[in-house]
Amino acid sequence: MKSLNTYNRFLQKVNDSMKIFRQELILVFKDEGVLIFFILVPILYPLLYSWIYNNEIVKEVPAVVIDNSNTPLSREFIRKLDATQGVKIIGHANNLEEGKEAIARQKSRGIINIPKEFTTDIIHGKQTFVSIYTDMSGMLYYKSILIAATDVSLAMGADLLVKKAGNTTKREDQLTKAPLKFQDVPIFNPAVGYGSYLLPGVLVLIIQQTLLLGIGLSAGTTRENNRYRGLVPVEHHTHGIYSIIFGKGLCYFLVYSIIATWITLIVPHIFNFIQMGKANDLIGILFPYLLACIFFGMTLSTLIRYRENVILFVVFTSVPLLFLSGLLWPETSISGTWRAISCLFPSTFGVNAFVKIRSMGATLHEVKFEYIALWAQVAVYFLTSCLVYTIEIRRSKRMQKSRLQQVREENMI
Amino acid sequence: MKTLHALWNVLVAELALLATKPVYWFCMLLIPLFLIFYFTNLMEKGLPKDMPVAIVDLDNSKTSRTLMRMLDSYQSAHIVAHYASISDARKATQDAKIYGFFYIPQGTEEKMIGGRQPMISFYYNASVMIAGSLIYKDMRAIATMAQAAMGQAKMRAKGMSDKDIKAQIQPIVIDAHATNNPFLNYSMYLNTTLIPACIALFIFIVTAYSFGGELKFGHAKKMMKTANNSIAIAMTGKMVPQTIIWTIVIWTYEYWLYYANAFTHNCSFGFLMLLGLLLVLASQGMGIFMFGIFPSMRMSMSIGALWAVLSFSVTGFTFPVTSMDTAIQAMSWLFPVRSHYMIYQIHVLNGFPAYYALSYFFALICFTLLPLLVMSKIKRVMQTYIYIE
Repeated sequence: MKSLNTYNRFLQKVNDSMKIFRQELILVFKDEGVLIFFILVPILYPLLYSWIYNNEIVKEVPAVVIDNSNTPLSREFIRKLDATQGVKIIGHANNLEEGKEAIARQKSRGIINIPKEFTTDIIHGKQTFVSIYTDMSGMLYYKSILIAATDVSLAMGADLLVKKAGNTTKREDQLTKAPLKFQDVPIFNPAVGYGSYLLPGVLVLIIQQTLLLGIGLSAGTTRENNRYRGLVPVEHHTHGIYSIIFGKGLCYFLVYSIIATWITLIVPHIFNFIQMGKANDLIGILFPYLLACIFFGMTLSTLIRYRENVILFVVFTSVPLLFLSGLLWPETSISGTWRAISCLFPSTFGVNAFVKIRSMGATLHEVKFEYIALWAQVAVYFLTSCLVYTIEIRRSKRMQKSRLQQVREENMI
Repeated sequence: MKTLHALWNVLVAELALLATKPVYWFCMLLIPLFLIFYFTNLMEKGLPKDMPVAIVDLDNSKTSRTLMRMLDSYQSAHIVAHYASISDARKATQDAKIYGFFYIPQGTEEKMIGGRQPMISFYYNASVMIAGSLIYKDMRAIATMAQAAMGQAKMRAKGMSDKDIKAQIQPIVIDAHATNNPFLNYSMYLNTTLIPACIALFIFIVTAYSFGGELKFGHAKKMMKTANNSIAIAMTGKMVPQTIIWTIVIWTYEYWLYYANAFTHNCSFGFLMLLGLLLVLASQGMGIFMFGIFPSMRMSMSIGALWAVLSFSVTGFTFPVTSMDTAIQAMSWLFPVRSHYMIYQIHVLNGFPAYYALSYFFALICFTLLPLLVMSKIKRVMQTYIYIE
């Protein structure tokens, strides 16, 4: 008899959860604010960001050259520099002032100054110095010009060395050029593309931020709509906290499993960004990540009185969180305090784990630390959401009681 | 006289509102000031140094040890570990324990002595941009040096002086002048745009919030009455106190960066102050315009936030706009922060005459004037709209 009762009560709970799940799902699609952040932004923003960074690398940075030497050797240098992928020589300048003028007009990003003694120095066996000046408003311009110029100078240097050596065989030439060969291998992002580096982190952060926004807005709507400005409507009191949390959680989870698939699997595929991880590993890490974000969002949502304050909170945290994830700023250069604070947010572990799996081909086992941390967050934030919901329900009940009492007193008079 | 009186009344009412609502204290003072502190503190060191790298030395010879010493002497890299194989080192890179590693294969010294051109590799993690590229740069320098060191012995035997040897091995030297940011200070490079972009973002949404709030909390009609039913007075009265606060915030960041932290500025402080004021006005103009188009608090704030978040990318201070698609290049004109960045770049950082940035000044002024287009609509909304929900 008793077990049947328990079973019935369990069924009742499941029913309650499903009811709340349905209500929440309807709200997601009816409330335009929630709709924007749950559906529209996660669908459009990844596309927009992918478009912005689709070109991946900075190529053919325009530069002007001042050829004071004007000899075959200096012209060879310029020709070779122009042929690189990094630099495009757009013209000659007579002096530094003219070169700067071109930068001021945004026509050029750098000046290459070849000294008058370029060829004579080389012939006399002296080192010659080619100066490059770059517009430092963009670090990537600097990098591009510097690498191209260095490459050309080394290649020409090696050629000159060979000429002087007076070797008799090709093999000897090669040895003179380079007794030791070097190769650099960029791993995990072979094209060193900007989009491939920035996007995975941004995409994962978008998941967290829009979830927080959507959950917060939905909670705000509920709160503003119901009589006592409580988070839990009166008619839900009988359901108990678990039904509420499971019902709502399930709704968010369902919507976001679709969104997350779109963001992490489909969008990168459309734009051909590097994708190394296996789908199973990605799903494995996204599962706790979504749960952690959902419960974190639920906990936060109780602290927010007006819908609009959620927007403020999320907007305020977006950029700082991207920095804290260690993606933009090297993790080893972030101080302990900031790292401790970053542990509060699911995105810190989510971004790291995701980047490792997606861009570096790690398996779920290899991101054990982040995986465990995310599950720990799931547990902690689940408990905190239970706690805050309990408090909210008590508050609503108290409000209801006092209101009832008030009505009774009024009637007595 | 009556107008002045009405304006004064709106001003006083707005000031009282700003002072009594905590949300304004947070969004206009505490959070922006915190962000200024946060970003400069995070990047305090300017150029990340001593980033961990590793060595996989399968040769274990005198040559390989020489190479190791060379690598460790560079400023951005610091050898923290030795691994027995490439796959171990690769895993450590994946775990973010190191940012790259040198691989010296077995038989390097032997091949070198035998004149068979041994190959040494450097693997670096290119999926973390700043760390990756800093290490890459050092690695290239080391490669050149190592080449030189290996060739030196032979030349010295021929009786050449060090200077001659250097000239032989590297006849052309690239002398890079990182104009105006000689130490490649990333804090200076990022924060000069990151912080104003954050403040502009807050201006967008607080402006929308304060107009939307009149509707939401049901003070709109009262405010219009105070303003003699003139929308111009109402807007000016509401905005001026905020303009003053924002401008002070902007000047604070400018003082903090350009004076306290001594970041490069090839212009007067007066110009910086003017530029700051222009950014405030342009962002407020944009905020009001968005409210005019979507006259509800939530919608205008959402759109404002979404728009402003894009400005971090479209400004092009990390990945240049000129390398983006043409459509995005055109779109970049619609972001006040982009114009601010261009003026900063041309006049403040590079010290070129300000008239080269004239079109960007013009853009900022256009943003400031945007509210003129939506004034009548806002007036209608303020007088008739009833907040539903």
